[in-house]
Amino acid sequence: MPHIEVDGQQIEVDEDGFLITIDNWNEGVAHYFMKEEGIEELTEEHWKLINYLRDYFFQFGIAPMIRKLCKESGFNLKKVYQLFPSGPAKGACKLAGLPKPTGCV
Amino acid sequence: MSVNKYTAPAMAKEKEMRALSIIPVSDENKVKEALKHLKHLVRKFRPLMLAMESCTKCGHCAENCHTYLGTRDSNNIPTNRADLFRKAWKATHTLEGRVFGKLVGAEPLTLDTINKMYAYFYQCNECRRCALVCPFGIDTCEVTFAGRQLLHWLGMVPSLHASVGEAMYRTGNHTGLPKPGLVDTCEFLEEEILEESGVDIKIPIDKPDSDVLYIPSSADFLLNPETMMGAARFFHYLGINWTMSSAIAEAGNFGLLFDQRYTLRFNTMRLLDEVIKLNIKKVVWGECGHGWRAGKMYVPSMTDRPVPVPIVHLHDETAHYIRTGQLKLHPEVNNKPITLHDPCNFSRACNLGAKLREVLNPCVTDFREMTPNHERNFCCGGGSAILFDDPGMYDLRIKFSAKKAEQIRATGIGENGDGYLVAPCSICKAQFYPILEEHDLGVQVKGLIDLVGNALYPPINI
Repeated sequence: MPHIEVDGQQIEVDEDGFLITIDNWNEGVAHYFMKEEGIEELTEEHWKLINYLRDYFFQFGIAPMIRKLCKESGFNLKKVYQLFPSGPAKGACKLAGLPKPTGCV
Repeated sequence: MSVNKYTAPAMAKEKEMRALSIIPVSDENKVKEALKHLKHLVRKFRPLMLAMESCTKCGHCAENCHTYLGTRDSNNIPTNRADLFRKAWKATHTLEGRVFGKLVGAEPLTLDTINKMYAYFYQCNECRRCALVCPFGIDTCEVTFAGRQLLHWLGMVPSLHASVGEAMYRTGNHTGLPKPGLVDTCEFLEEEILEESGVDIKIPIDKPDSDVLYIPSSADFLLNPETMMGAARFFHYLGINWTMSSAIAEAGNFGLLFDQRYTLRFNTMRLLDEVIKLNIKKVVWGECGHGWRAGKMYVPSMTDRPVPVPIVHLHDETAHYIRTGQLKLHPEVNNKPITLHDPCNFSRACNLGAKLREVLNPCVTDFREMTPNHERNFCCGGGSAILFDDPGMYDLRIKFSAKKAEQIRATGIGENGDGYLVAPCSICKAQFYPILEEHDLGVQVKGLIDLVGNALYPPINI
């Protein structure tokens, strides 16, 4: 399994770079993925989405429907893509430490 | 594990395969094990024997395969794809192959060939266009399916497919959606419908004694909300006593795609168990192409006991209610230029093409056929969940969809940047979301029941 190194710690990721275990997430992980994602700085808006995704995941065991994410955060899909160029699933979920979505997505 | 020199999707790790109760075979034992499986598969399946013995290399399949047209990689010519299997079969199981070897197209199986199989059996969209045009009726899709079965037994399955298989065992759907998430998502969609059209619709889950069990594609809960909303509007409008089930909120069956034995059967039996438990009278299948093919063509022969209720497709139902005048539709709400992508598993495998049009026509004002269509249509390029994001495979997805992009462009629906491409299948939708952007086509993806739902409940201001 591949690993990433964050603050001297080895963290296991899958072949697409998503965390294997959400419990290994910390803010340093989000900062690490930020560079890959081509984001210069994590703003309040980024954190709003990251925190929403994490709260939802801990409550319901899955990432929210994208439409719900947009509605609850007040960001339209275009804005989500501006914040996370790879999009809500492959960008925002990754920074939030959620597993890669499976299925026909 | 050897590194694959061919462009191939990321392979499931041993841990993921063990979650599917498969112990991966080591490289040194692969050839021996593969030959054993090959013998078993060819003996067992007549179409496979036909494919092994009848091909004359006429080449008709080449120009009819979008993967070959998009890549011009000769390994993607259907007959060459089947050759990966055929050569090894000839070398070990035919007299002329054993005596004359390469002269008669026989070649002993090697580890390299197995790696090549993994690459090119997963570069096949299983669309069956080659089967349609083959003068001998050889269905290369059956060969690649058998090849994928063999690879599965060796422990060689794409990570995407293995993770879907595991999610299905764990949760009864492909996205790993647990019941609390399903309930929350459906409540959200109920609010959305109320807000959009002022209609108070309930989306029932696990409701016993329902007449209809609707099995949606679980991707509808993440990516395609309008498809789920459309289906809810449709059932509500007709006053149908319906429900979904948290135990099988999934129209797809990846067993068809990588393991037509245990996984295909397990997912099917899960559905039948739920039918009994909830005391259902009829199963209605949602917008999922491969899943419907599994449901319609494989269920009767796959189950361990008789199928107790009718299993029909959502668009068999919508077509019926339109034909009998029970749906009042307002096509003016769907007034964008619209074309229809025939999902291969609907129109080529399950004869659903005419019904799709019977449903679409009265829901829209500007429908333009793409050419070719119905059973001659080309695949979206994502068929059989070739939805990989690894850079090499993603590039191939763009190439596999080149023919489709050409077809869509020719309809002119995207000229003003507001066209709708109706693609009533979750794999097609998931392929099209990024791929339409890659080809810069100026169209949006829609499901078919999405448009039916809109046309049933037009917004008040129209």
